Amino acid sequence: MSLPAFKLVRPRSLDEALEALLRYGPEAQIVAGGTDLIPSMKQRLFEPRVLLDVKGLGELNYIRFNPEAGLELGALATITEISESALIAREFPVLHQAAASIASPLLRNLGTLGGNLCLDTRCLYYNQSAFWRESLGGCLKKDGHICHVAPGGNFCWAAYSGDCAPALLALEATVQLAGPRGNREIPLAEFYVNDGMVRLRKAQDEILIGVRVPARNAGFEGIYQKLRIRKSIDYPLAGVAAVMRKDSGGICREARIALTAVNPAPRLLPKAEALIGKEFSAGLVDEIAHEAIRTAKPLTTSASSPEYRRRMIRIFVRRALEDLWLGRRPRDGGAKKDLLSN
Amino acid sequence: MSAGSIPNSPVGSRVPMVDSFEKVTGAGKYADDLVLPGTLVGKILHSPHAHARIRRLDASRAGQLPGVFAVVTGKETPVKYGILPIGHDERIFADDKVRYIGDNVAGVAAESAEIAEEALRRIRVEYEILPAHLDLEKSMRAESNLIHDGRPHNIEKEYHHHFGDVEAGFKAADLVRFDRFDCAEVTHAALEPHSTLASFDDDGKLTVWSSTQVPYYLMKTLAATLEMPEENVRVIKPLVGGGFGGKSEVIPLELAAAVLARKAGRPVKITYTREEVFYAHRGRPRTIVELKTGVRRDGRLTAVEGRVIQDGGAFCGYGPVTMLYSGQLLNALYDIPNVKYDGYRVLTNKPACGAMRGHGTVNVRYAFETHLDMIAAGLGIDPAEIRRRNLLKPPCVTINGLRILSYGYPECLERVAEASNWSEKRGKLPFGKGIGIAGSHYVSGAANPIIRSDQPHSTVNLELDGEGTATILTGASEIGQGSDTVQAQIVAHELGIALDRVKIVAADTARTPIDLGSYSSRVTFMAGNAALAAAREAKRQILNAAATYFDVPAERLVLEDGRIFEAGNRAKALPLAQAVLLAAKPETVLRATGSYSTPAEARGGKYKGAGVGPSPAYSYSAQVAEVSVDVETGQVTVERIYAAHDCGKAINPLTVEGQVEGSVWMGLGQALEEEMVWKNGRLMNAGLLEYRSASTLDSPEIRPILVESADPEGPLGAKEAGEGSLAAVIPAVANAIYDAVGVWMTTLPITPERILKALEEKQRRTGS
Amino acid sequence: MTKQKILLHVNRATQELEAAPNRLLLEALREDLGLTGTKCGCDDSSCGACTVLVNGRPAMSCLMLAASYQDAEITTIEGLAPGKTRLSELASLQRAFAECGGVQCGFCTPGLILTTCSLLEKTPHPTDAEINEALSGNLCRCTGYTQILESVRRAIELMEKESAGEVVRP
Ligand SMILES: Cc1cc2nc3c(=O)[nH]c(=O)nc-3n(C[C@H](O)[C@H](O)[C@H](O)COP(=O)(O)OP(=O)(O)OC[C@H]3O[C@@H](n4cnc5c(N)ncnc54)[C@H](O)[C@@H]3O)c2cc1C
Ligand code: FES
Ligand code: FES
Repeated sequence: MSLPAFKLVRPRSLDEALEALLRYGPEAQIVAGGTDLIPSMKQRLFEPRVLLDVKGLGELNYIRFNPEAGLELGALATITEISESALIAREFPVLHQAAASIASPLLRNLGTLGGNLCLDTRCLYYNQSAFWRESLGGCLKKDGHICHVAPGGNFCWAAYSGDCAPALLALEATVQLAGPRGNREIPLAEFYVNDGMVRLRKAQDEILIGVRVPARNAGFEGIYQKLRIRKSIDYPLAGVAAVMRKDSGGICREARIALTAVNPAPRLLPKAEALIGKEFSAGLVDEIAHEAIRTAKPLTTSASSPEYRRRMIRIFVRRALEDLWLGRRPRDGGAKKDLLSN
Repeated sequence: MSAGSIPNSPVGSRVPMVDSFEKVTGAGKYADDLVLPGTLVGKILHSPHAHARIRRLDASRAGQLPGVFAVVTGKETPVKYGILPIGHDERIFADDKVRYIGDNVAGVAAESAEIAEEALRRIRVEYEILPAHLDLEKSMRAESNLIHDGRPHNIEKEYHHHFGDVEAGFKAADLVRFDRFDCAEVTHAALEPHSTLASFDDDGKLTVWSSTQVPYYLMKTLAATLEMPEENVRVIKPLVGGGFGGKSEVIPLELAAAVLARKAGRPVKITYTREEVFYAHRGRPRTIVELKTGVRRDGRLTAVEGRVIQDGGAFCGYGPVTMLYSGQLLNALYDIPNVKYDGYRVLTNKPACGAMRGHGTVNVRYAFETHLDMIAAGLGIDPAEIRRRNLLKPPCVTINGLRILSYGYPECLERVAEASNWSEKRGKLPFGKGIGIAGSHYVSGAANPIIRSDQPHSTVNLELDGEGTATILTGASEIGQGSDTVQAQIVAHELGIALDRVKIVAADTARTPIDLGSYSSRVTFMAGNAALAAAREAKRQILNAAATYFDVPAERLVLEDGRIFEAGNRAKALPLAQAVLLAAKPETVLRATGSYSTPAEARGGKYKGAGVGPSPAYSYSAQVAEVSVDVETGQVTVERIYAAHDCGKAINPLTVEGQVEGSVWMGLGQALEEEMVWKNGRLMNAGLLEYRSASTLDSPEIRPILVESADPEGPLGAKEAGEGSLAAVIPAVANAIYDAVGVWMTTLPITPERILKALEEKQRRTGS
Repeated sequence: MTKQKILLHVNRATQELEAAPNRLLLEALREDLGLTGTKCGCDDSSCGACTVLVNGRPAMSCLMLAASYQDAEITTIEGLAPGKTRLSELASLQRAFAECGGVQCGFCTPGLILTTCSLLEKTPHPTDAEINEALSGNLCRCTGYTQILESVRRAIELMEKESAGEVVRP
C-alpha cells in the first residue's frame, strides 16, 4: 500500500527542525522511526503536506546517567537501545521490561522513545484503511461525527497504547520540549490529556527532545505486566507498571503504579500512596488492585473485552505488588525479559 | 516394493526441496515479482455496503483521467462462473447487486498505483441499500431480499444422509449424549497476498501468471469468462507464497487482471492489499455442529447424528463440497454402525468461504473428538481407550461407502500415548495442568474430480536426454508443500539417478499435461503415482533397449546409480545416458507418459452427495497436547504437542514433518486465537496485526512422529501429509484443558475470557 | 509529486534512483532496483516479510522512506550470496534453512534469514529462547517454526565447524 504525497524535510539540527516547524505550521508532521506514523499514513489517517524527518538530529540520541541530572534519554534513542542498556536494566528495571516488550525486535530497532511517548491513541474503528472507515462514515476522531464505541457520546475513547509511558510515569519522569518560545520541562503526567483526540499537551510546533528520570528513583524495584494476545508484535491491551522501595524491615517506603492501554492516556494510580509506610498484607494489596479498576476505563476499542482488560489490570496490580513486596521474580503473563542484554 | 532397498535412492531421505536455492537467495520469482514492459497497475473498486442494489454506475470520469488505460464494469463482464459446475453465481464485477463489503464493482488499469486509486475515486456508484443477512441462523429463516435468486431462505445447499438406523442405535445405547459446538470463521492468511499478471500477445492469446493452486481450473475459467477458446489461454504458476486453500478457487483479481489487460491493450498486474485478501477470503466458515451420540457401557458407539450449519458468505464457492466433507468424514475415522447427517450451507452478506486446510473436516472433527471425551468421562473410560474400542477393521468399506485399505490410526494412537507417557499423566497432573488426546483423518485426493470426466486426474510426461538428465513435465502445483520435490524424488528413485539429474517443469498449462491442482491433498498421491508410472514406462523402454545391447532378457537387468548391468555383474555396465539414446532412436530424447486415475472401487457410493469424501486412501493422525491453564487469567499455554501422522510412506521425512508441524501449528491458531471478527457485516480485523497468526514466542514445541502404513495404491506406499494433522490438535487441546481444570470448551477460539466464563459456570454448578 | 535523486547503499554498492519522497524503501528495492527478494506481506507493518538489514540491524522496509535512509548501509537477501548458483555454494545459514526445512513456500524466508544473520553476528551462540525472541517479529505461516529453529541451530553448528577449519559440504 502506498503513501500519500508529501514534501520531505530532513533537518540536521534541532534549530533547523524548529525553524521548519514554524515555517510549515500545521501542515508539517514530525516523523521519527515512523513505526506508528507510516502505517497510519498508509491508511490515510494522516496526510501531512510536509513530513519532518527528525532522524538526522544526532543530538537527540543519547542515554546517559549522572547523579545530579538522573537518567536522561534523548527522544531519538531507539527502543532497542533502551531495552539493551545495561544501566537501565540494572537501575530502572521497570523501564527495561516495558521497552523490551514493545512490538517486535524489528520494530524496536526503528521505533524511538519520542515516538513511543507521542504515540497516537488506538481504536478498532480508527486504525483501519480509508476504504473501511469510509464505508462506515468515519468516526469522531477522524472524518466523522459518531463514536462507534460509545454511540451518542462526543468523547473519544481511543486508548493510549504505549509501553514506556507507564514505566516512566511510575519513575516520575519529566519530558523536555523545545519550541519557538524556548524549552520547557514538565512532568510526564502533565504531558498527557485523557481524551483520545487531544492526547498531548504539546503545541504543534514543539518537539519532544528528551526525558529525565530523577536520580533518586534509580535502583527502584519494578515490574511491568502487559496483556497482549501474542507474546510479540501486539500492542498492549492493558498494562501495569509498578515500582517500589522498601526498607530493610519490609515496610514500603515508596510505591507508584501506572496503567496503560485502558484509557485515552496513561494514568498514575492515585491510591498507590496508601501503600506507603505499610507492611505487606494481602488485604491491602487486594484493595489497591481493586481500586485500580476505578482508574481503568477501557471501552471496546481493542480485541479483548473491557471487562477482561479491567480484570487483568486488577490481577496485574496485585501480582506486581506481591512480587515486588515479597521479592519474587516477575511471572509469566508479564513482560518478557530482554534476553539480549543479560 | 520397499524403497529402502535401492541404494542411494533419494526416497525416504531428508532432502532439501528442489526449489530451495531460489528461495533462500531471494532469486525465485513470485507473481508480484514479475514485470513485463509496459505493465499497468490494476485496482478494484469494492462495495462499501453489505447488501445493496446498484442503481447507477458512472465510470466516465475515471476513464478521462490521464494515465488510465482501461475501466471495466459489470456490464462488460456478463459471464457467470464458480469453481463448482453447480455454483456459477459469481461475476468478475457485480451486475445489479453487491453482496458483501468488499464485493467487486469495477476495475481500472493505470500507469501507476496513485493514478489507479484516483480513478477509483472518480467512479460514482449510487446504491439502494438492502437489508443485509448477517446472522447465520437468522439468514436461513429469511423470506425476503434474498441474496441470490433461486436460493429460498438463503440456503445454498442442504444434504440429508442416513445410513443404518440411528433410532435403533440410540435404543441400543446405555448413554445418549447431545452437545453443541460453535467454531469461529478463520482464514488461510498465506504470507503472500494474491497477485496476478495478465498479458495478451499480438495474436490475441492470453498469458496469465498467477498465485494459484489450480492453474488448470483458472485456465478454463479465464477462457469461459473472457469468452475465448481454451487453447488461447495459458496459465503459468510462478512460485506461490503459501495457499492453504485460499488460492484453490479462481479469485476475482485473476479474471479482473485479464479483462483489464484486454481492454487496455497492455499487460496488467493486480496485487491485493492484505485487506483485499481478507475480502477474497474463501476460508473456513463459522460452523455450528450439533452431535447426538449413543454409546454402550463398554464404550462402543452405536449411533451418531450430526447437524451442521455453515455460514458460507455471499457465494457458493466450494460450499457444497465443504458441507459434504463435514458429513462424509464425520463417522469414518471410527466404526460407527448407524449415522445420520443433516448439513446446511447458508448464504450471508459476507465474503465467500471455501476450502481451507482440512477442508470441511476440521470443525466437525473438533466437535466429535471433544464430544467423545465427554462421553468417555461420563462412562469413566480412558479417552485413549474409548478410541481404541471403536476402530475400523480394514480393509473395509465404511457405512457411507468409503473404501479403507491402509489404516495407521491404531498405531498413531499407540505411538503418541507412548511418547507422551499418557497413562502416567492423564488425570494425574496437578490442577491447572492437563493432557488430552484426539484423532483426525483426511483424504489423499478427492476420488472424483470437480468437473466430472473420464480424463485422468493427473498426467506426467518425462523426457530423458543423452546426458542422462530427466525432465519432468507436470501440471501439479508447488505452493510450498514440496510437490515438485516429491515428484523429482520418485523419478530419481525409479530411474536410479541422482536427484540433481532431475529437472522439473511444472504448472504451465501450455507446456505441461493436465493436473487438477493442489487441493484435497491430492498431489503426492495422484501426481506422485503419475510420475511413478511415467518413470516406470521410461525404465521399461530403457531396459528393453539395453536388453538388446546386452543380449539378455530385460528382467535380468538392473538400473542403478546411472548405470545398467546384468544382475551380479556390475563390472560390465552401460551408462544410462547411452541406453537412453539407444531407446530413443531415431530421436535423441526419450519420452514417456504416466497418468493416474482413481480406481472405480475408491469412488464411493451412489446416493446424492456420495461423490465427495471418497478418496483412494486416507491419512490418519493422533495427537496428544499438554497444556497449562492459569485459572486466574484464563490464559492457556500449550506446552507440547505430540503428533503422530500416518502418511503411508514418508518419501521425504523432512517435508512430511514440515507439513505435519505446519498443520498442527495452524490448528493451534484456530484453537486459541484466530478468528475473523464481524460487526454488522464489517470485518473488524482485516490485517495481520489484528488477525493474529502466532509468532515464534507463541508456538510450542511440536514433536512429529511418522507412521508408515504403506498404502497398497499409494506411490511407493505414500499418502497425504499436508492437511490431516490440522484437525486433531484442536480437540486435543480442548480435552487437555478439561483434564487441567475440568471445563469443556465448546466454542472456538478458546480465549482466556471463554475459559474464565466456563470456570465461573462450573463454580456456580458445583458450588466449589 | 516531483521526483528527486536518491542514493542508496545497497549490498555494498551505491545505487542511484529517481523517486518521489513518499517512495518506501521496500518499493525502491523491489521496483526501482529490481531486488524482489524483499517481500511485502502486509500493510500494517506486522509480518516482517519486508525485512532488510539497516547498518546490520533487521528492520521493516515497508515503513522506511527510501529518501530517509540514504546514509545507511542496507543489506537485502540478494546481498548474502552474490553470484552463487547452487545450494552447495551458499553460506551455512542459507544452506541450513534449505537442509532443515526452514523453507516451505519461501515467502518469509528472506526476512527470517536476514534477521538470523544479524542475531548470529551479535550473539554467535544464542540459546533457543534467544533465537525465538530474535525471530519473533518475522511471521511464517507454513512451518510452525519448529524447523526454522532447527535450521538456525544447524547454521550455528555449521558455522562453528567452518571457523574450526573443517570443510562442510552437503
Ligand atoms: C505492529 C506494531 C506493533 C506495535 N506494538 C507496540 C507495542 O507493543 N507497544 C508500544 O508501545 N508501541 C508499539 N508499536 C508502536 C511503535 O512501534 C512504538 O511505539 C515506537 O516506539 C514509536 O516510535 P517511532 O519513532 O516509530 O514513532 P513515529 O511513528 O515516528 O511517531 C509517532 C508519533 O509521534 C510523533 N513524534 C515522534 N517523535 C517525536 C518528537 N521527537 N517530538 C514530537 N513528536 C514526535 C509523530 O509525529 C507521530 O505522531 C507498534 C507498532 C507496530 C507497527
Ligand atoms: S510487509 Fe509486513 S511488515 Fe513489512
Ligand atoms: S515458509 Fe511460507 S511463510 Fe514461511
